[in-house]
Amino acid sequence: MEWKPDWGLRGRMVLTMFLLFALYIVFVAVLSRFVGLFGIVIVLGLFSLGQFFFSDRLALYSMGASRVDADEYPKLHATIGRLCQQADLPKPDVAVADTRVPNAFAAGRSQKHSTVCVTRGLLDVLDEDELEGVLAHELAHVKNRDVMVMTIASFLSTIAFMIVRWGWLFGGGRNRQGGGGVVVAVLVSLVVWIVSFVLIRALSRYREYAADRGGAAITGNPTALASALLTISGRMDRVPQEDLREQSEMNAFFVIPIRSGFVGRVFSTHPPTERRVERLREMAAEMERR
Amino acid sequence: MGLFDSLRSALGFGAEADATREADPEDLFGMSTAYLTMEADLDFAPVGAAALCFSSVDSTDFAGAVDDVEAILRAGEEDTGTTFRRHEDDHGYHWVVLEDSDPEDLVTSVHFAADTFVERGYGSRLLAAVFGFERPRDDRRAYWVYSFRRGAYYPFVPTGDHERDNGSEFKLASVLDGELDVEDDERYWYPLWPDRPGGHPWE
Repeated sequence: MEWKPDWGLRGRMVLTMFLLFALYIVFVAVLSRFVGLFGIVIVLGLFSLGQFFFSDRLALYSMGASRVDADEYPKLHATIGRLCQQADLPKPDVAVADTRVPNAFAAGRSQKHSTVCVTRGLLDVLDEDELEGVLAHELAHVKNRDVMVMTIASFLSTIAFMIVRWGWLFGGGRNRQGGGGVVVAVLVSLVVWIVSFVLIRALSRYREYAADRGGAAITGNPTALASALLTISGRMDRVPQEDLREQSEMNAFFVIPIRSGFVGRVFSTHPPTERRVERLREMAAEMERR
Repeated sequence: MGLFDSLRSALGFGAEADATREADPEDLFGMSTAYLTMEADLDFAPVGAAALCFSSVDSTDFAGAVDDVEAILRAGEEDTGTTFRRHEDDHGYHWVVLEDSDPEDLVTSVHFAADTFVERGYGSRLLAAVFGFERPRDDRRAYWVYSFRRGAYYPFVPTGDHERDNGSEFKLASVLDGELDVEDDERYWYPLWPDRPGGHPWE
């Protein structure tokens, strides 16, 4: 990156990871009194390995995506290749999912073993610059080793969740025989799971912002990604085509155009897309000033 | 605001309230700095024209109000060199079209005209004030539209015949947001299509 890094973002990320780690320690400490450390380690290890090695295959499978080679999608391959050079990354596998929903993701356990997947819908709705912006965002995920980070971060909630289910199966219920310990374990793991879920969501949001910044650094064009985000979120489609003068004639006799839900307006939240676009705009402004 | 709107439309007063909402011509002064930003950050230079769009009322009093507007603009012409003409478009709406190479004078004149309508009690007849821009490098035209119904600005970038460039519009909106009161619900970004392709909305 050639402009000043976002230290606030980095600070929050470090803090979140620290909290997750602290929580993890507490969790293991409490749980080991009931289950024994060895059991935990085994379960954790199996899960993490599974996630680690099969995450990309799982992700591709769930999206119905398949790997494509350069003669099927020459342009897509060329673009990704060029962006990888720019980002100093080995070229990942390229996959395409046959769905109209515009989306993209990166999967894989390391920079060497990664796959970038886009959907047909994404290729259809985005122009060249916008597509580059999205691909660079996904490559930034690979560069930041986000799959590994998020896998490690989600161990805990996965395990906690398993313990909850396992606890209900073998512990809970009315005829407990010395099952008090299990009940405590279940309660603890439930709380742990909820807290870790919230933290992981925060961490994932920060990684998303970081990938936005990284992607913009790769292409040097933050507004292209911003425009892609607006297109994907469907906000572009909301812009009317009907002339103001026509619409005013109608409005003299009919009710105003349909508004978004009453509740939605009262509790209007800013969708993350807006914040991401906002930040990309700021980056573009920083680049302008240099 | 949102709550009131919903209630109003639920009770069936929406159209009425929308048509009688008090327009605030002071908002138009926001364009003075917007002109600078448009050129400095986006390479959009002023086209040297802006216009006020209104619907007519068939009464002598309204005709008198329009005469007032014209008298004020004629007086201004000697001061600032801002020329003006009247125009009626294919939709039956009326325009006061102002031309001046100095955007500052354009904003002042549009404000004068709008303010006079409001003073005479015809604020509700004002539809929009439109400020034109063009970018030499790709011959792209862009407009900032101030809607008197909504009391907010929105961007309009027409391309070809009845096509608009949403990407550029969102970019304009995000760059000028804060400087102008930008309409945040893009479902109100109604286009003002020119009567003939390649023309301005007021031609």
